[in-house]
Amino acid sequence: MKTLSTRDLKRNAILWVIIALSVTTIPHFIDMPAILIPITLVPIAWRLLAEFRNWKPMPLIFRVFATVVAVSVLVVTYGGLMGRRAAVSLLVMMLALKLLETFSIRDARIVASLCLFLCATQFLFSQRFAMVFYIVACLLSTLIALMYLHRQEAYLPIHEAPDTGRSMFTELGFGLRLLLLAFPIGLTMFLLFPRWSSPLWGVPEAALDARSGLSNSMTPGSIQNLFMDDSPAFRATFQGSVPNNVFMYWRGPVFWDFDGQTWQSSYLSRNLPAETKPSLADAQFRYEIQMEPTEQHWIFALDYPAMVPKGTRLTMDYQLVSRRSITQLRIYPMASDPAFQDSPELKNTLLRAALETPVGYNPRTAQMMSEWRAETSSDAEIIRRALAYFNQEEFHYTLNPPLLSRHTVDEFLFETRRGFCEHYASAFTIMMRMAGIPARVVTGYQGGWYSGIGSYVLVRQSDAHAWSEVWIKGTGWTRIDPTAAVAPDRVEQGAMNSLAERRHLLDFEWLMSARNTLDLLQRGWNNWVIAFGADAQSRLFTIFGWGIFDSARLIIAMMSIIMVAGTAIFLLLPFFFRFRAAREQDAVLKLWQKFIRKLEKAGFTAKPSMGPIELGTLAGAQLEFAANRIEQITELYIRCRYSKNTDGREKLTELVRDFKPQTAA
Amino acid sequence: MTEISLQKSTVADDRKVRLKQAVDTVNQILLGKEQQVKLAFSCLLARGHLLIEDLPGVGKTTLAHALATVIGAHYQRIQFTSDLLPADILGVSIYRRDQEKFEFHPGPIFAELVLADEVNRATPKSQSALLEAMAEGQVTIEGDTHILPKPFIVIATQNPLDLVGTFPLPDSQLDRFLLSITLGFPAPEVERELLTAIDRAIVLKDTSALISPVDVLELNKDCQEIHISEALLDYVQALLAETRNNRWFQTGLSPRAGIALLQCCKAYAFLNDRDFVVPDDIKAIFPALARHRITVPHGMEIAVEEQISGLLNQVAIP
Repeated sequence: MKTLSTRDLKRNAILWVIIALSVTTIPHFIDMPAILIPITLVPIAWRLLAEFRNWKPMPLIFRVFATVVAVSVLVVTYGGLMGRRAAVSLLVMMLALKLLETFSIRDARIVASLCLFLCATQFLFSQRFAMVFYIVACLLSTLIALMYLHRQEAYLPIHEAPDTGRSMFTELGFGLRLLLLAFPIGLTMFLLFPRWSSPLWGVPEAALDARSGLSNSMTPGSIQNLFMDDSPAFRATFQGSVPNNVFMYWRGPVFWDFDGQTWQSSYLSRNLPAETKPSLADAQFRYEIQMEPTEQHWIFALDYPAMVPKGTRLTMDYQLVSRRSITQLRIYPMASDPAFQDSPELKNTLLRAALETPVGYNPRTAQMMSEWRAETSSDAEIIRRALAYFNQEEFHYTLNPPLLSRHTVDEFLFETRRGFCEHYASAFTIMMRMAGIPARVVTGYQGGWYSGIGSYVLVRQSDAHAWSEVWIKGTGWTRIDPTAAVAPDRVEQGAMNSLAERRHLLDFEWLMSARNTLDLLQRGWNNWVIAFGADAQSRLFTIFGWGIFDSARLIIAMMSIIMVAGTAIFLLLPFFFRFRAAREQDAVLKLWQKFIRKLEKAGFTAKPSMGPIELGTLAGAQLEFAANRIEQITELYIRCRYSKNTDGREKLTELVRDFKPQTAA
Repeated sequence: MTEISLQKSTVADDRKVRLKQAVDTVNQILLGKEQQVKLAFSCLLARGHLLIEDLPGVGKTTLAHALATVIGAHYQRIQFTSDLLPADILGVSIYRRDQEKFEFHPGPIFAELVLADEVNRATPKSQSALLEAMAEGQVTIEGDTHILPKPFIVIATQNPLDLVGTFPLPDSQLDRFLLSITLGFPAPEVERELLTAIDRAIVLKDTSALISPVDVLELNKDCQEIHISEALLDYVQALLAETRNNRWFQTGLSPRAGIALLQCCKAYAFLNDRDFVVPDDIKAIFPALARHRITVPHGMEIAVEEQISGLLNQVAIP
């Protein structure tokens, strides 16, 4: 039977451990399979009830059973234990199950400490600035829990801490003071701990915080979905002048091939490099881009990129494509020359590709375009007429366009006349091709929000846009934005302001501007914390003149430091404990300690503050069968230790050795 | 040589036997307070002054009287009142016309054992007259110094400070008392005995002296022989250091208190038939030694006794 002893947890301590665990677990629930959530919540609830109803710990057999069931469910759900999410879910579940047996300070401390670890694992899934709030919440609750636990343990010998009006806040204050002391060490580790430029083991299964972003195909509705997403796509910090919103076309995927429904990039465009490149000297805008991960390969630049960052290439239609998919925050310098002439001459293969239309689709458009072509031979006239058509007919720029079926362009141009930027770009491009003008679709982002405080342009996913480019002999590829003909506001003020309706329930202007302002924090977090990778670290080392430390040398250096420090501590340890060691060398005391250990095995609780006679009397009263022996040993011990006459140690050795209270019991 | 030492030891043994009898006698008068009686004797053997502090009617004066009686000392009782004057304690010089000079009439303080009853009812001025005598072992009146007899031991009683009409003794003067003990209410069976047995005052009258003041001096010398080990000093120092940690008390114990503690512990070990001091002795003496010397920090609603036992439970025995 378990009896209540001082080692049992105080209520406030266990409650704070439960709070800490709950706070830490909540974000994990978002991505855990739903079936695992009740398995996690039940033990927590049980422990809470156990506290208030004074339940005993669960029998071992039941705990083992619960663990087996939980792990089986987990394995079945994930199909194994491989992968980040499965491993972290296992940790969450096991920690919750640990509560079933958490009735002592030691167990509670393990749970609280592992809460900190669990909190750190959340970084495997997200590194956004919002995580800071999560960490702070975890840290505060865990600190309070740990403070309560340690205080209870420190005062174990006297049962209870003297009450000096301590509250949660004083505990927290003390914890924070300790944390402040640890901060320099933490900062040093953050700066100096070896960082690798690529992960040691393979590529992570999914990028951190990756947003779908623009994809490698465009169907009606694809950008419209992005438009609902206000998360940042990238930020651009300009040196010098910031271009007007009207000129801010951030170039992304370029599409050539249309199958009647979907636009796709062409084989040629993916594989041919750019023949000519804008020169850096002509570049009118210079800026630095801080790009959020997308899991795609495109990186973004204003038309036309004059720089090719490391690890990327420039395709013949001036897309910047990264060799590796962007799975983490990426920062690159960029320059753009908007006046650059793109391909004044076009190869025949490309010309053909830019004129191709799917056979058997959109006959009405084809007919209209051939009528227009018959009226004029000027390409410019046709372009103007097409834009005027969008502008003067009853076209609507809307988020809720009707569905289109087979002849998407026909239906859009002559029936529904409601659409989003991709409808216009797609229809316009097909119109041009049918009129014999080479055209292609470009997707990317348009505009952005200029932050006055941070002096940078924030581009969100909702700024995604699609437009057309037509090829005019002599001028080369020229950007035409048909959406601007329908809704000029879209280009001038951004997509949000050009819509009459709200996008969703929480789409308020003040909320949007608050989010824009708060993005400053996210940007700082990115710049100062997330972006501190291998490159930044080696830059830092260069400042200190440690430029020679590449990652391999850094590991060696770290290992050497750890070994030297470890050896030093190992060698110096005896000096730290010199006084204690001297005392422990006292053979009589050692015998006494051995005697106490034997008593404790027999079920007697000795406190360090007990005098030897007091201890002997109490032990004798509890272990009656051995009372005589205990008295004898106690008598001899105090004589050996405290009187002038110290012989009798041999006798004491003998007595203690032969003292076997547990077998007698 | 051997014979002399043998003789010496028989004399010492005889003293010790009579001391035991004295302790037993006091225990028969003051029922059920063995521990307090032992502490009181430890205090006497260490030649310290004793303060008995408790509510009226629990046997303070009985204990003081019993101690005085068994010691057989020439003793004086001074009942402290609010109109008591220093001269009432120390004595006065009176002009003798026939001899044409002043003659000193010694006060009640000139005795081997002084019972200062309800010491905190007198004014500070009168209190200080007594307490200075306690510290110096002599009194100075009108320029003449008068040596007090040896041993000179004061047993003072006082009511708890919160009773009406008392003048609390200042901390510096409380320090003159070696030990301060409380008696507390008797246990039920002891109380029943008290209610049925004959009056304690009559028992006291029939009691005769068992040891003499000279014996007290000799016993004190015997106590000095008690051994104190290094390990024990470690413990005493740990205790003293812990009292100076301000989470327990306003100010800690002084080195003088530490010396007094060892003196008392020697006497206590002597009473327990041991020729060395063990930590249990320290733990037994410490509360009586400390309780009148230290105060709980302001704002802490906790009795000083509780703090002391908390502290004792906190300090590990090395």
